[in-house]
Amino acid sequence: MSAQPDEAMLVARDVHRHFEGMRAVDGVSIDVPRGKVTGLIGPNGAGKSTFLAVLAGTLPASAGTITFEGQDITRLPTYHRARRGLVRTFQLPSEFSQLTVLENLLVAAPDNRGDSLLGALLGRRYWGDDELRLVDQARDLLKRFGMTAKESDYAGTMSGGQKRLIEIMRALMLGPRCLLLDEPMSGVHPRIVDEIKYYLQSLRADGLTILMVEHELHLVEQLCDSVVVMAQGKVIGSGTMAALRRQQEIVDAYLVG
Amino acid sequence: MDLYVAALGFGLISVSVIAIAAVGFTMQFGITNMINLAYGEVMMVSGYAAFYVNRAGVNIWIAMFAGALAGAVLSFLLNRFLYAPFQRKGTNLIGMVIVSLAASLMIANLMLPIVGYYTSSYVVDQGPLLRSNGLVLTTAQIAIIAVAVILMLAIHGLLRYTRLGKAMRATAANPTLARNCGIPTQRVIDVVWLITGALCGVAGVVAGMNSENFAVSSGASYLITIIAAAVLGGAGQPYGAMIGALIIGIVTELSAAAIAPEYKEVVAFAMLVLVMVLRPQGLLAKRGALAAAG
Amino acid sequence: MNSYYAATLLVYAGVDIIACLALNLQFGISGIVNFSFIIFQAVGAYAAAILSMPPDTANGGYQVYVGGLQLPFPIPWIGGALAGGLLAIPVGLVVLRKLRSDYQAIALLVLSVIANSVITNARPFLNGAAGIAQVPGPFSDQVDPLSQSYQLLYVGLTFPCVLLVWLIASRIVNSPYGRSLRAMRDHEVAATALGKNPVQMKMTIFIVGGIIGGLSGAILVGYIAVWAPSEWLYPETIILFAAVIVGGRGNNVGAILGALLVPVGFEEATRLIPATIGGWVPPPNLIPAMQWVAIGLLIIGFLWFRPQGVRPEPRRVFEGSPEAEEVDRVRTA
Repeated sequence: MSAQPDEAMLVARDVHRHFEGMRAVDGVSIDVPRGKVTGLIGPNGAGKSTFLAVLAGTLPASAGTITFEGQDITRLPTYHRARRGLVRTFQLPSEFSQLTVLENLLVAAPDNRGDSLLGALLGRRYWGDDELRLVDQARDLLKRFGMTAKESDYAGTMSGGQKRLIEIMRALMLGPRCLLLDEPMSGVHPRIVDEIKYYLQSLRADGLTILMVEHELHLVEQLCDSVVVMAQGKVIGSGTMAALRRQQEIVDAYLVG
Repeated sequence: MDLYVAALGFGLISVSVIAIAAVGFTMQFGITNMINLAYGEVMMVSGYAAFYVNRAGVNIWIAMFAGALAGAVLSFLLNRFLYAPFQRKGTNLIGMVIVSLAASLMIANLMLPIVGYYTSSYVVDQGPLLRSNGLVLTTAQIAIIAVAVILMLAIHGLLRYTRLGKAMRATAANPTLARNCGIPTQRVIDVVWLITGALCGVAGVVAGMNSENFAVSSGASYLITIIAAAVLGGAGQPYGAMIGALIIGIVTELSAAAIAPEYKEVVAFAMLVLVMVLRPQGLLAKRGALAAAG
Repeated sequence: MNSYYAATLLVYAGVDIIACLALNLQFGISGIVNFSFIIFQAVGAYAAAILSMPPDTANGGYQVYVGGLQLPFPIPWIGGALAGGLLAIPVGLVVLRKLRSDYQAIALLVLSVIANSVITNARPFLNGAAGIAQVPGPFSDQVDPLSQSYQLLYVGLTFPCVLLVWLIASRIVNSPYGRSLRAMRDHEVAATALGKNPVQMKMTIFIVGGIIGGLSGAILVGYIAVWAPSEWLYPETIILFAAVIVGGRGNNVGAILGALLVPVGFEEATRLIPATIGGWVPPPNLIPAMQWVAIGLLIIGFLWFRPQGVRPEPRRVFEGSPEAEEVDRVRTA
């Protein structure tokens, strides 16, 4: 990825992830350019999701460095990275099932005075205004994503596609600078896929930086500005989809898997 | 120094008792994903079953079979009618732990009115003392060690060389896959509970033989050392449980000689915490014969 | 109804409510399976005892214990609460920070068994198995502890504590912080990915629960005047878990309900069992043993038929939502 260094928002250098003798991520370096959607593709078992987890901090890197907006975040725990604006979603449904859809979004909001023990003990008079403001903000998101009617339903009772949307909305409540999406379309009804695609495209138009692990190549073609290809824990190519299609090794890797 | 050699001797018996128990406990977790906190109580019940047979005049070594039978039946029923239904319902691990805790409470308190609060002991002919290099053990104690060795070899043989053993290992590693390959996982699980229940029963009897006396309350104290040994060796790994038993048994007996006998369990607990903090996956970390679930 | 009996009931109810509110904060709201809860009540009781009692040479010197500072109310109660909080720090630092969640529950359970064993065996510390007796309650030198007015006084002291704890628990549960705790309980990894620090939240609630648990112990020991290892065996934690499960996890009303139904209601119901049933005299220890069996059945029954409890965690509907027109703004207790 030959982007200018100062344009790359998220940089990984020679990242390794070993676990119980397996090299899931074997020396991966990528630059995720600011304001663009980058796809991370590759056959099954290539280590894409693992790499994403390492970028997000869910899994620690065994070696290598990760830099976000110029700061070294390699040793930073996940919640710190999220607070700095590097937010991830999950491949498997990860909604807070006993909370309502609205509450799911409210949890994500980082600037609520009532979100600490002291704030809680001081009572509603202390954090009530923050809460009202955030409820409005959340409701705006719900409206934008067409889920206003479901505001007070348990998130656990939502369909697969709706849970996906909740995850994305939740991530957005944080005001992220860079979104790490782990197979946002997986397990989603084809009709909902179009919906999610539409929202991702509007986010991209807003200038949000996105790194997206995805299997469906036609979606990748429609959504991603450029793509990184992984196989067996290593990067085997990067560039636009068109350029990559011309590289035989890439095509082979996909076919061989 | 003699004190420590003698403690080593006690340690060997301890190891034997803990090993028989811990292997059963860890296999229950490894194959059926169940942390059976009622295990200690089943040991206690089996111990009492053997006690009544023993008091009726039967030699303790024969009464041991009664204990094994009691353990097998009780464990099988426990799984069939309590654990499995909850697991099928999708209860999470903590929910299952609470269920097994409730079960242990019920078993212990159902036994109390039946056997009473006072302690009991077996009638055991200890046999002649045997000495070697400062180790002093009675024949009966050596027999306990022999029983443990035989059972460990039997389990090893079962897992390694029999079809049933292979089915158990497959079920432990991936139950859905095992079922799809045609393994009757339901039946395998039933057999696992019968076999581990029998181990549990024998363990209860030898534990009772190894202490001066036992009571309904013994169940809870057995559990601590068993958990320590199982976790130390790697949850779900029977060979790990054997190693864990070896370490826990020797260390607790040596420290009992060095510090005080009342603190044996404290030492086991300290080791448990140490393992959980430093090496939570236990000694046998690699996914070996029986992969640790979760 | 005998006023002593009524007072006993009320004080026990107060203590149990306080304990259940604490356990609900830890388990019901934050998902910490604190199987060692009872040791926090115990440490609070012991602390309050050694703060309020005379030195161990008094009363003929038949007890051996540390402390004996003879401090007046409210210091013993505050001391008890603090002791609970202080104990939570090392326990939490090891268990909550370093251990996997499935090991946490087991480690805490084993801890409470071991702690009981250690205190029993270390006689000079807290008088071992016999425990501490003749603990003076608050104002017992000014009001005769055996009088009816003292009973009234004690209820009068317990009640504000219950209210205070309920206020604290309420504020926590119904705040954005409570919401973050519930999110962490539902899916810790996702909560972490949204910027929540799970270790800090768990430690905080563990300590808060410890403080409240310690207070419950201090209140109890001042009333019953004795405290021994037999009062805090590990099954006592199980009763409280039963209460929280039966009453309804994740909400304070459920916790209060559970406290009233299980430790209080249950104990009282078995009191009604006659001494003889049709001429048959049950053996002396049968009733307590059957109580435990019933507790076990209660837990299993509720987990099977109604895991959410009698009063489930309420679904929060916010003002101005599409549903708010039909449903009244949920009054969460």
